[in-house]
Amino acid sequence: MKIDFIHQPGNTAARVVLATGETLTAEGGAMIAMSGHLHVETTTHKKSSGGFIKAVKRMFAGESLFLNHFTAGNESGELWLGSSLAGDMMRYELDGENLIVQAGSFVACEHSVNMDMGWQGFKNLISGESMFWLRMSGRGQLILNSFGAIYPVEVDGEYIVDTGHIVAFNETLDFTLTKAGKSWLSSMLGGEGLVCKFKGRGTVWCQSHNPKSFGSSLTSGLKPRRA
Amino acid sequence: MKTAIKGSDAFAYVEVELAPGEKVIAEADAMSSMAADLDLQAKFNGGFFVALMRKFLVGETIFVNHFSNNTQGERRLTLVQPTPGAVRCLELNNETFYLQPGAFLACTGEVKLGVKFAGFISWVAREGLFRIVVSGTGKVWYGAYGALLEREIDGEYIVDTSHLVGYTPGIGLKLQLAGGIFSSMFGGEGLVTRVVGKGRIVIQTRSLSGLASWINPKLP
Repeated sequence: MKIDFIHQPGNTAARVVLATGETLTAEGGAMIAMSGHLHVETTTHKKSSGGFIKAVKRMFAGESLFLNHFTAGNESGELWLGSSLAGDMMRYELDGENLIVQAGSFVACEHSVNMDMGWQGFKNLISGESMFWLRMSGRGQLILNSFGAIYPVEVDGEYIVDTGHIVAFNETLDFTLTKAGKSWLSSMLGGEGLVCKFKGRGTVWCQSHNPKSFGSSLTSGLKPRRA
Repeated sequence: MKTAIKGSDAFAYVEVELAPGEKVIAEADAMSSMAADLDLQAKFNGGFFVALMRKFLVGETIFVNHFSNNTQGERRLTLVQPTPGAVRCLELNNETFYLQPGAFLACTGEVKLGVKFAGFISWVAREGLFRIVVSGTGKVWYGAYGALLEREIDGEYIVDTSHLVGYTPGIGLKLQLAGGIFSSMFGGEGLVTRVVGKGRIVIQTRSLSGLASWINPKLP
């Protein structure tokens, strides 16, 4: 499977070339265009893993309830993927390790990659950021997207990332939801609220912009919904 | 202090490398990531009264964040505005500059932040009743929705409402119809801002209220 990107970082689209027999699993709604002979199957879960409960969990995670599986039969084919928010995309190749992906950043993965909803329990409930995570494992490539540009931060020790800016991170990192700086008061008053403090060694991929901040600056100009 | 604007004009963000003892002041919620041992302090933006004015009149947040490095080594911090768009760095050398509400992103510790009445014309032109004043010596980062255009003005210039980002003190604002009554009403330009004087203005190529008014009729 060959993946490349065009029109980065503003209007990124991913072009995926599927060889015969290969399958790509993509988030519902991500496909822009594709070869006519690709076989599409829509399920509520990753094929041959989990079931409806997993799908419902994913829906709560802000992802589409459905996943589409694109398979090239006897002929190879190509497929274009896009995302709803303007921004960049990245490719990541898993080689047995685990990658934790912020649910909204997931676009697609190879069939050989396993996807699991990571339930971070109480941590999520208090954050108010609807932070849900997908634990990606196995071997193969995945495609992630972001709102804005993506920059990696190599963590060795401790590093803070605002909750709305996380795309993905290595599972070798541990994180806690905490305050920015030393004082809770400053963190709350200063509008930073809760942030993620990463500990250990690994990489966090951050998105330059926060969808929620953009949303709230836009919605102040929108008319209320007619009842 | 080493700083760099990255992410191209489409998604500009500011990377700041603070040396020991250095400080940077940023708009609330501007921090996207930072070294865990940087100190953060939320402070009233320019005193209690000015901060209140900023909150209720300019629509900006009441607090700004002071990030300081009290460690022994260099520490990194990333700052960003809520909208995708360009960010510029302005070097003030005992000068004053006016910024529109929402345009301010960050500044170095020595720069003075204030709020000033911009006049009812500015308000009618959807440019806000008040404006942000940055003065003194140091660096100021400001941004916009879309790209930024700069124009040297000597005389008059016309800017569509809600596209003005900042201007030098020698400039005044006036409101007028874009053309005749007919072209103003039907040409989609409506009211425009006439900037008068000698100095520099900065314009954003897009406007958030423009996007909102495009979405509004499509809402269910």
